This record gives sequence, structure tokens and C-alpha cells, in this order.
Amino acid sequence: MSKTIKINELPVRTWNFLGVNDAEIAWDADKAVDLGTEEFASAKDGVCHRMVMSGKEGFSRKDVHAVAHAGEALTLIQWFEGEGHLAAETHLTLEKDATLRLVQVFSANEGALSRSKVTGTCDENARLELIQVMLGKGDTYVDSHVDLNGKGASIQTDIGYLAQHHQTLDMNLSVNHFGKKTECSINAAGALKDGAVKIFRGTIDFKQGSSDSVGNEKETVLMLGDDVVNKTVPLILCAEENVVGNHGASIGEMDDATLFYFESRGIDRATAEKILARASVERVARTIGDVETEQAILNELYEGEEHDL
Amino acid sequence: MKEKSYVDDIDRSVYDIRDEEKDAYRLEEGLTPAIVDKLSKEKNDPVWMQQFRLQSLQIYNEMKIPDWGPSIEGLDMAHIATYVRPNTKMQNDWKNVPQDIKDTFERLGIPEAERKSLAGVGAQYDSELVYHNVREEVAAQGVVYTDMESALHGEYADMVKKYFMKLVTPRDHKFAALHGAVWSGGSFVYVPKGVQVEIPLQSYFRLNAKGAGQFEHTLIIVDEGASLHFIEGCSAPKYNVANLHAGCVELYVKKNAKLRYSTIENWSKNMYNLNTKRALVEENGVIEWVSGSFGSHVGCLYPMSVLKGDNARMEFTGVTFAGAGQNLDTGAKVVHVGRNTSSYMNTRSISKSGGISTFRSSVVVQKGASGAKSAVNCQSLMLDSISRSDTIPAMDIRTRDAAVGHEAKIGAISNEAVFYLMSRGMSEEDARALIVSGFADNVSKELPLEYAVEMNNLIRLEMKGSIG
Repeated sequence: MSKTIKINELPVRTWNFLGVNDAEIAWDADKAVDLGTEEFASAKDGVCHRMVMSGKEGFSRKDVHAVAHAGEALTLIQWFEGEGHLAAETHLTLEKDATLRLVQVFSANEGALSRSKVTGTCDENARLELIQVMLGKGDTYVDSHVDLNGKGASIQTDIGYLAQHHQTLDMNLSVNHFGKKTECSINAAGALKDGAVKIFRGTIDFKQGSSDSVGNEKETVLMLGDDVVNKTVPLILCAEENVVGNHGASIGEMDDATLFYFESRGIDRATAEKILARASVERVARTIGDVETEQAILNELYEGEEHDL
Repeated sequence: MKEKSYVDDIDRSVYDIRDEEKDAYRLEEGLTPAIVDKLSKEKNDPVWMQQFRLQSLQIYNEMKIPDWGPSIEGLDMAHIATYVRPNTKMQNDWKNVPQDIKDTFERLGIPEAERKSLAGVGAQYDSELVYHNVREEVAAQGVVYTDMESALHGEYADMVKKYFMKLVTPRDHKFAALHGAVWSGGSFVYVPKGVQVEIPLQSYFRLNAKGAGQFEHTLIIVDEGASLHFIEGCSAPKYNVANLHAGCVELYVKKNAKLRYSTIENWSKNMYNLNTKRALVEENGVIEWVSGSFGSHVGCLYPMSVLKGDNARMEFTGVTFAGAGQNLDTGAKVVHVGRNTSSYMNTRSISKSGGISTFRSSVVVQKGASGAKSAVNCQSLMLDSISRSDTIPAMDIRTRDAAVGHEAKIGAISNEAVFYLMSRGMSEEDARALIVSGFADNVSKELPLEYAVEMNNLIRLEMKGSIG
């Protein structure tokens, strides 16, 4: 029997009336089908692995372990699709001077639910690139926690989303700076249409000892529907003196200057909004560096638009 | 060896002077229906207030301690005396105030400020006001500035009943319920339609009694087209047991009215300051909050503005200084309800010597609040690595036609800025002092001159250290 469980918990709680401290979903751990564990490793000259995370009817779960060994590189592309409720846990280990790019594309069917939990540890000078693309289908819950342990370790996160119909996007990203001179960059941008609900929690946590570290976080939300709900919770937690943390958020509809730009080129408001909504996903898709995945994302985007017509 | 520049703690010697306790009446410690009933009888409450207190107590007992924010484990209501009446009645001439109490307020500069720059003053000592006065010319304009008890029993009784704890209800949170049960003291202000009060009114709250709570209620109604600047100050000497402040401020800003509410909070470092402040702003109304938080062991303070009317505006300007043994959780909340409303929050936090400062905010734009604009800017300065500084903002936006921006920055004193000033002949010590002083000037420049000076004295950002 499914129970209500709490996921995506904010590292530091705030007022309960805001409804951002966590997310509640129905989950049946006993009946969840185990889809097994897959393991991936890096190579000296770099290697790219693609995997499809396909949910089954009912509840299912899958584990992934990826290791980027010292001085090596690994790209792992996960495409979430299918039915039912899928929970995936991806554990990342980055050794000294390693580079790991994790790409997650969420495109499950309408009515499906995708849960992704990512944990990562980065040793000295290791670099994690986390790219997440949400294509406006299925409810999506993403919970990512990364520890920058080694000196000079870094993470670059790019998130692009389109949320529409009555879709829920619930994101929780937490970066812990333990090592000195660690760097974090979080960049999230997306568009909300129809009656979509989106929550983005982004936390930069400077632990004691993480001197000379830098953390930057930015979110841009384009509000395109009359019934959309946007919640943004960008935290900076700081227990170290010599660090720099910045976050910024910009939320609203298309501004007048942008609209004027489009209209002066003969593009009406509705088309301009469509272009901008697509752009927030396309921007991230083009950073993936894998033509096949990029094309698949664009196909889904344009196909979705045709359905809307 | 290079010694780090040092920012001194706030000099509290003036505030820490304790008067001998000569209370006329002190309720026993704890919180029971019998104690609340006794308090109600002591204050000769009307029937509705007696019932309100008991209902609030019931709500208090039902509600849980909030599961967010700083720990208040050190606060034990069983050891707090909720009512301490000083050994005097309220006076309107300082000559008639008992000498020791008068001396305390003299040290705090209240009578002098009244003579120089205020339209009226209320001075509360423990649970009751000991002095209240308003300039004749201000009273002649129809401005009502009196203590809450007089308002509750006098010609404004109906108005008090209409507005009292309607904006902050006892169900709001556990300490709002506590306030509803045991409130005493505080001020009532009514500014009639169209009246501009040119110079500020001030209430000062002093808690002298050891192990006591202060629960004053401030109710201000600024009627249509009127304006007012209200200043609130507070302090207490330090004891080795917990004291509690759970006051409540309700502000009603009517159509086209403007209210500025300034607070310099300097409670002692054994104080749990769990205060609630809220403003309801009607069409074209303006609420401006100016807030300096320097004292308390634990502080939770988030003035909230409900922008109900179209074109209503809110500004919040705040500075928080958390030193050793302090956990100050401060910020603001705003709810945009009307159309074309706007809000702006601009805050600074400084943490040193193990102090914890948290900026917490909430911006809610409701579905019908089309054209809403909101901007939040918070900056935090860490002066050492044994302190903490957290930023916890949240935005809940439910209309597409809104423009919401948020910026936050946490960091140390910029070496580049120090270098820039040194290249113009300043010593490193002076350069650092200037930067830290300037960091907090968003609040001081919003205060009347006398209070800006007091605030700067409070901060006392003395820099010392040898270089090289």
C-alpha cells in the first residue's frame, strides 16, 4: 500500500505556510519493481554512456553508480521516460582531477512520475557538470546533493525546463563546499505555462574551512500562464569568512523591451512567448555536447508544440 | 605577525544598569488559566478581553513550537513571570516618575529626545507604561496617542475591540497566542483623516525585572490621507536567566495614508525576542519599516506587510548585528494582494565572534495581484570564521503579470576596497573601519539624525589592530 513520503527536503527549514520545506508524494516501497543497478566508469580519453531510465506501470526503482577515476573523464546521459512511478538514484564519485558530466533528460509520459536523486563527491580539482532538462511531460522530482571535498573542486549546473498543463516540477539542489577554493555555479531557467507548478530550491552551503570558495546561483523564470505557480527558494548558508556567495532570481512575464524587439520584427506576442519558452530548454540542450541527445530533445520540443496546436 | 582587524562588540554598559526591583505587583511565574485570569482581573479587563485571553491560552497550549528557526530550548515558560507592575501609575510629567525609573530613561536619552525631536513619548517599564505624553499641538490635530489600557477602557474602546489582534490573530503562531493571553502595556495611536504628523512619536520599552516577560501591544491606525512616523526602542539589563519579549504590533494604513515604523532593538543577551509585527495597507497606502536589531540572545523578527489595496507600497530597510552568544533570525514578509502593488526589501547583516545572523524573507504574489513588483536585496558580512550568516529567502508567485527580483550576497571585507582606500592614504585599520561602518548605513540614513547617531554609537565599530 502506498504511503505519503517526504522528499526534496530543504537543508534549513523556513515558514511552513510557504509549502517549500519538502515535497510529499505517494510511494509504495514494498511493491516497487527493482530494475537493478548499473555501473559506469571513466576512461583516460573520456567516454560517453547513454542509458534509458524507463519507468514501468506501478512503482519501480533503479540504482546507478558512476566513477570518474583520477585524471579521467566520463559523460553519462540518462533519459527518463515511460509510465508509472520511477525512482532512480545516481551516485557519482569523482577522484582527483577527474571530470564527470551527468546529463538527465526528463520526458516521461503524461501522468507518470520521475524521481531522481543524485549524490556526488568531488576530490581535489575534480569537476562535475550537471545538466538537467525537463521537457514538459510527467511530474518530475529532482533531488541533487554534491559535496565539493577537495581543494579546487567545482560544479557547474545548468537546468532548463518547460512546465505545462498541470505538471509539477519539484527541484532541490544542494552544494556543500568543504574544500578550499571550491567553486559552484548554478544556473536555472525555464518557462511555466497553463497550470504548471514549479518549485526550485537551490542551496550553496559554505562549510567551515572552505576559504576562498565562490558560489553563484541564478534563476530566471518566465511566467506564461494565468494559473501557474512558481516557488523559488535560493539559500546561501555560510560558516566561513573568506568566501563569496551570490544569488539572484528574476521572475515574471516577458518584459516590454523584449516584446518590442519581437514585434518590431513582425513576431506577435504568442509566437514570441513560444520562442522564449523553447529557448530556455534549447539553451541547455546545446551545452550537452552529444548531437544525438540534443536532436532528440529538440524533436520532443517541437513535437510537443505541434500537439499543442 | 599580522593581527586581524577587530570589530568590537556593542558597548552595552548604559543598557546593563539594573534598577533595584521595587515592583508593586508581580504575578507568579508560569502560565495557567488561573494566572491568566488573575492578570485579567488585575487589569480590570472588559468581559470580551477576559474571554479573549483564555481562548488565546487554549490556542497556545494546542500549538506546537515552530519547527524552523533558531532553537528556543532555553526558554521555559514555567519560569517566566508574565506580569510585573512597577511601583507607580502612568504619569504625563517626568517629575512625577519615581527617581530610579526616571534616571534609567534619562540615561537612555528619552526625555531629552522628547524635548528635542518628538511629538509624543510613551515609556514602558516592565509591564506597564510609567510615562505618556503628547505635544498639545499634535493632540489639537486630533491625534490620539495613549496607552493601550486607557484606550481599551476609554472612548476608543470600540475601535480597540474592532482592530485588536484581528491582523495578527492568536492562531498565527504559538507566541502570538501567548501574547493574546498575557499582553499588557503598549500604545494606541490614531491619526485622523488627512492629518500629517510632522515629527515622530516614540514608544520606549524597558524590561528591568529578572525572569520576566514583556508583552506590550502596539495598535496604530493611520486614517485616509494621513501620515505618521513612529519610533520604537527597547532595552534591558542582562541577567543570567531567560527573559522573554513577545510583543505584537498591528498597523492599519488606510487609503492614501503613509506610515513609517522605525525600531532600534537592543534587548540584553539573555532575551528571547519573539515579536510579531504586521501592517495592512489599503489603496495607495505606504508602509515603511526601518529596523535595527542589535540585542537579544535569540531573536525572531519578520515584520509583515499585507498590500491589500491597489497601488499599495512597502519598503523594508534593516540591519542586524549578531555578536557572541546571539542568534538573530530577522527579515520581512510581504503579501501582494491588490493590483500594481510594490515592495522593496534592503537589508544588511553582520556576524562576528560566533554570532549567527539569518536573513529570512517571504514574498508572496497572489493570483489577482497583477502588475505586482517586488525587489529584495540582502547583503551579509562575515567578520570571522567562527560566526554564521545564512540567507533564506522564499518567493511564491502566482500571477504571470508580476516582476520579481532577488539579489543576495555573502562575503568578507573586500581586499580590493581596502586597497583602494589605502592607495588614497588611509591606513588599513581606518579603511576596514570605514567599510564596515558604511555597510550598515542603509538603515542609519533612514533614521532621524539623533537616532542615526544613537545607532552608530550602538554599533560602535571600533577597529583596532597592528598591521604588518
